[in-house]
Amino acid sequence: MDNAPAPGKGHLKEQDWKVGVDIGGTFIDFCALETRSGRVASLKVLTTPDDPGAELMTGLSLLAEREGLDPAAISRFVHGTTVGINTVIQRRGVSLALMTNAGFEDVIELARLRMPDVYSLFCSRPDQLISRDMVFGIPARLRADGSEAQAPDMQAVIEAVATAKARGASGIIISFLHSWRNDAQEAAVKAQIAKSAPDLFVFTSSEVWPVIREYERTTTAILNGYVHPRVSGYLTALEDKLVSRGVTAPALLTKSNGGVMNAAEGKRSCVQMLLSGTASGVIGAAWLARRAGERHILTLDIGGTSADFALIIDGEPQFGTGELIGEFPLHIPSVSVSSIGIGGGSIASVDAQGVLRVGPESAGSTPGPVCYGRGGTQATVTDAMAVCGWLGHSQMAYGQLQIDVGLARAAVSKLADQIGRTAEEAAQAILDIAISEMFVEVEKLASRAGVDLREFTLMPFGGGGPMLGAFLAREFKMAKVIGPPRPGVVSALGGLVADLRGDFIRTVFTHLSAEATPLLRKALDSLSAEGLAWLSKQGHQGPATLHVSADMHYVGQSFEIEVPVQAAWIAEGKLSPIEDAFHAMHAKLYDFDDPDGEIEIVNLRLSAIGAGPALELPVEAEHAGAAAVPEREIPVFTGKEFEWIGLYRRDLLHPGGRFSGPAVVAQEDTTFAIPAGATVDVDRHLNLHLTFSE
Amino acid sequence: MFDPLNLQVFANHTRAAAENMAYTLQRTAHSAFVKETEDFTVMLINRNGDTFGVPMGLGATWYPGLTYTRAIDMVADYKPGDVAFTNDPYSCFVATHAPDTHLWKPVFYEGEIIAWTGGHIHNTDMGGAVPASLSRALTEIHQEGIRFPPMKLVNGGVFDEDILKIMTTNVRKPDLNIGDIKALVGALNTGERKILAMVEKFGKEAFLEGAEVLLDHAEAQARDILRSMPDGTYVFVDYADEDSVEANPCRLKLTMTIKGDEAILDFTGSDPQLGSSLNVPSGGDPRHTMLLVGVYYVLYTINPKILLNTGLTRPFTCIAPQGSVLNPISPAAVGMRSLTCARLRSVIFGAFCQAVPERLPAAPAGNNCIVNVMTTDERGRTVIAAVNPVVGGGGGMPHRDGTNGSGADAAYLKNTPIEITETEVPIEFVKYGLAKDSGGAGRWRGGLATEMAFRVFSPGSRITARNRDRSFFRPWGLLGGKAAGLSDMVLNPGRDDYRRLGNIDTAILQPGDVLEIRSAGGGGRGNPLEREVWRVVRDVERGYVSAEAAERDYAVVIRDGVADEKATESLRASRSASTGHFHYGPEREGYEAQWTPAAYDLLTDILAGLPIHWRFFTKTEIFRRMKGRVGPEGVSAALADVRARFREMPEPAIEVKEAAE
Repeated sequence: MDNAPAPGKGHLKEQDWKVGVDIGGTFIDFCALETRSGRVASLKVLTTPDDPGAELMTGLSLLAEREGLDPAAISRFVHGTTVGINTVIQRRGVSLALMTNAGFEDVIELARLRMPDVYSLFCSRPDQLISRDMVFGIPARLRADGSEAQAPDMQAVIEAVATAKARGASGIIISFLHSWRNDAQEAAVKAQIAKSAPDLFVFTSSEVWPVIREYERTTTAILNGYVHPRVSGYLTALEDKLVSRGVTAPALLTKSNGGVMNAAEGKRSCVQMLLSGTASGVIGAAWLARRAGERHILTLDIGGTSADFALIIDGEPQFGTGELIGEFPLHIPSVSVSSIGIGGGSIASVDAQGVLRVGPESAGSTPGPVCYGRGGTQATVTDAMAVCGWLGHSQMAYGQLQIDVGLARAAVSKLADQIGRTAEEAAQAILDIAISEMFVEVEKLASRAGVDLREFTLMPFGGGGPMLGAFLAREFKMAKVIGPPRPGVVSALGGLVADLRGDFIRTVFTHLSAEATPLLRKALDSLSAEGLAWLSKQGHQGPATLHVSADMHYVGQSFEIEVPVQAAWIAEGKLSPIEDAFHAMHAKLYDFDDPDGEIEIVNLRLSAIGAGPALELPVEAEHAGAAAVPEREIPVFTGKEFEWIGLYRRDLLHPGGRFSGPAVVAQEDTTFAIPAGATVDVDRHLNLHLTFSE
Repeated sequence: MFDPLNLQVFANHTRAAAENMAYTLQRTAHSAFVKETEDFTVMLINRNGDTFGVPMGLGATWYPGLTYTRAIDMVADYKPGDVAFTNDPYSCFVATHAPDTHLWKPVFYEGEIIAWTGGHIHNTDMGGAVPASLSRALTEIHQEGIRFPPMKLVNGGVFDEDILKIMTTNVRKPDLNIGDIKALVGALNTGERKILAMVEKFGKEAFLEGAEVLLDHAEAQARDILRSMPDGTYVFVDYADEDSVEANPCRLKLTMTIKGDEAILDFTGSDPQLGSSLNVPSGGDPRHTMLLVGVYYVLYTINPKILLNTGLTRPFTCIAPQGSVLNPISPAAVGMRSLTCARLRSVIFGAFCQAVPERLPAAPAGNNCIVNVMTTDERGRTVIAAVNPVVGGGGGMPHRDGTNGSGADAAYLKNTPIEITETEVPIEFVKYGLAKDSGGAGRWRGGLATEMAFRVFSPGSRITARNRDRSFFRPWGLLGGKAAGLSDMVLNPGRDDYRRLGNIDTAILQPGDVLEIRSAGGGGRGNPLEREVWRVVRDVERGYVSAEAAERDYAVVIRDGVADEKATESLRASRSASTGHFHYGPEREGYEAQWTPAAYDLLTDILAGLPIHWRFFTKTEIFRRMKGRVGPEGVSAALADVRARFREMPEPAIEVKEAAE
């Protein structure tokens, strides 16, 4: 059942719409399903960065016009917004002050010391979201066991608040050492600030995400506060607009953990939505994969400036912490997505030694590739695709872009002349290099996860994924590629199908021993209560699923691995299954375990899940006579020479259809390049299945 | 055949293979040294033994130019599945102290060795006189743990159990060593697989050629950078504070000659090999990677697209005289060569800062102090743990302040959260942050030092703070920028019984004692009087610089937090910019007033004329007799006294130099 039943739904006999919306850098994508007729509508609208939310209304109007959507007939409205992440990337958040222990004011600047570019004498850290003059050291100290060594000096708090206000702070973050163990000091200081400066908003580190490790906890709380006013303002305005349009379903928001939450929650827990865009792409891909019967998936989403990859193992997205928001790590559970700065807009160049390179510079979406004819002058990956002949046979992005192959050829020829090659050779080399850059990142991802990619199927989506995906799959000897029918709206679909999902954590940091049982039991009880309360606050009325896991390590290790555990083991004080599960997971991830080693349990985690709607997209019957017929033959440079290959229209491909590469499939939102050696089958969900024979 | 159009593709596949090895090792290793400190390297090695690929994101930064040729040649009859290893610094100068254990594995294709995979791990302990096998006070290699000359460790995929038994019998943490070594073997196997996949993709001939082309390309990139520098001879000297328990400075001197696209790095004039473990075993290899680490940093900083492999080293020739601290002979101890290497890097930076000052930062803090605590918890159990490294900032950059609290050549180090350490180790931190006024003043300020203080609760808590340096000789400023603040270690700061511990690297603490460790800062760059007033004011607001220092060092007058523009203007007008390419600070200026370059030239000649085993002894005895003496005359007089006292001393064979020199 739906987790957000709209009031008054009963009288809408004709229509019942579920709408998913994903806002990207250039376009906002709609995926809408009318459940009674099984009609699916997808749509792209240009974003309006100056008036976030306006494009949503435009989209609803277009859906009403084209599909006859009645706003009152929307029973589920899910959207992912980039307001939060853009606020961080563009540094447009509010001025904040940080209150922390005296003597530890530099924790956020020092971070974890190690910097990414270790060979450069110019390596540096980003400027902090809170500069050092807005960090106030308060005499206060908790010991590691949570007992109080020194109570917060409230006079110092009062003075710090006055100074912070005078320096323009509109909000305050409080983070004290060991508040993961005892949040009383943070709460006391928060209460004091509420008295002396009720106009300032305040977040404490323990209420945002109460995890051990001061830098990680503090920086997560800071991100939350930094985006809070803007996100909250945006959501309030959005709710008003939706109501004025007659949409009665509550607005749900996609989260970094792949789930959804309601808008009231989103206004406080802003940090939960920062990575929702990439997360819902993976959720959408997982949903599509399950439907197509695929278990292990590598997703590939290529945009103008970057390529995102994620693993789906046994149908499940993978989770991690420490994903980057701009330059700052975010330490709440997020769907793991790796990213590299190579996309369709990445610029090719020839270096001083005459070597052809691609990126990291990018033409982005403005001016974009040369072939878009919007003022770009430097050859990009997309231009190389155009020169080779893969692009330019149809309109792109629902008719909003026209490819000018001549412009692309002129730009690529300039580079080709520098290295004494033909334009096609240079273009092919640009594609090979771009793919090899992605190869490096995907190899790292696979090797961190300890998986063999030959057992995986690649699912490319986004505007650029289908252009390069099949070539990348060949590099890994992946036997299969699956192309979903609407690669441009996979993220929007992800929101449409997502569950309500809230994550909760208690740091317990204790040896796994009988003595620890009461502590673990108490932590689990409070986590469960918190999880269930969260679901009911979201308006969820159906059954709840609670997943429990524990972050553990051997004594002496200072990184943890997350191991699923059963609530009953903790409730009944059964430690040996927990130990066994940890040893087994350690052996699986690290190739060894230490059955005699002492185990420490650092965190208990709980995810409270309220199942999303059980949606069915329409399934097409297999046609007799569905044979795939190319519209025409086009010349494409396939690596060594020009070949005449088939150009297929995606909307004319029917279940049961089959053809072979090399071929091009053109569709409204992307172009699918299919290399030689691939056999393509169209399934009943209109996915293209590419299989390669060796 | 290899198509040059494929160079970037080939380079990417090489990097992917190397990164894959690194992740495999990090994922499966057992010790914190490998998993967290990332003191390991992995590499792809060509047929000749030269490294052609390293990971960029993981591991230590020292070995992209390492060549395994000598080590490979010392083992005969390689078969598929074999792995050889060594940790002996003196057999082939691949390993450079005993904890570093290097492994290499042949990659066979159609019955022929087409490449090698290799790498090293830093073992937590290799036995010897002290836990962890490292102490500055050790004087011969035999005290630094068990050594294995190059030999096979794995035969056809099977570990030699005898060798493992010998190792486990001799070391303090055998499980960690064996676990890490097996993880490294796993990584070498991964590398082998990836190389074979490259052969399949590119073809055997193209692979073999590609591995060479990458070296050629790195060489061409390095030569382009050298060519862009003015020809000339650049001399630079820097000192480590203490050479041994004798506590005299350890001098490193570099005479770098750039000519066209080549450079000669002559380290003549550096100290003789020392009676401590600060020696750097280079074996006199003119392109030994340990001598060139500073060069990798300079090249990468100038061109971040440079490929890191042995090709980079080809335009460089190092001269490190035998019997010197940079080319000791056995049995000189070498365990703490990392301290000397930090100074070696600053000497190289100093030389390049004369050739291309506009492209490089001032000196980084250059003391990567690793702090370990051994104490007892309330249940009476011994707890040993590494706490945060105390490292200082980077030097002021051409267009930016130095990075605070780390950066430059220390950026690979990680810290441990206070909350984790306090939960696991019975100590309580009093402070962990940046030290005010510790960055060298300049148009671009040097990065601030780190300051850390903690309290212990149980008797006899032992602290070691390895690699401490820069407590006397400051990180230098550049182009009018000032030298940075010094490092220090103080017991019970602010109390009546406080005690400054100077440059020593161990301390015993009693209950309630607080130990404060401060690093040096980064040197400043450019004239501090030209720093915009608003930046100085902002530094004061942020607590990076005190109002007093703002007035003293920057001539910015701040009253009640606001710049007094008039007063500042007139104060700035009254000051004159400091002259000189470098600023070293009063300590070094005072020291060099006595130990002038001419005095050192004479000392160098005297020592070079003595048998190696007399040199450090003679240096120490001359230093003992320099009180009240100055310059070469002082050295001659001191030498006369030494010879009078030690009649057994051979006559130094001093070469008479040509007048033209």
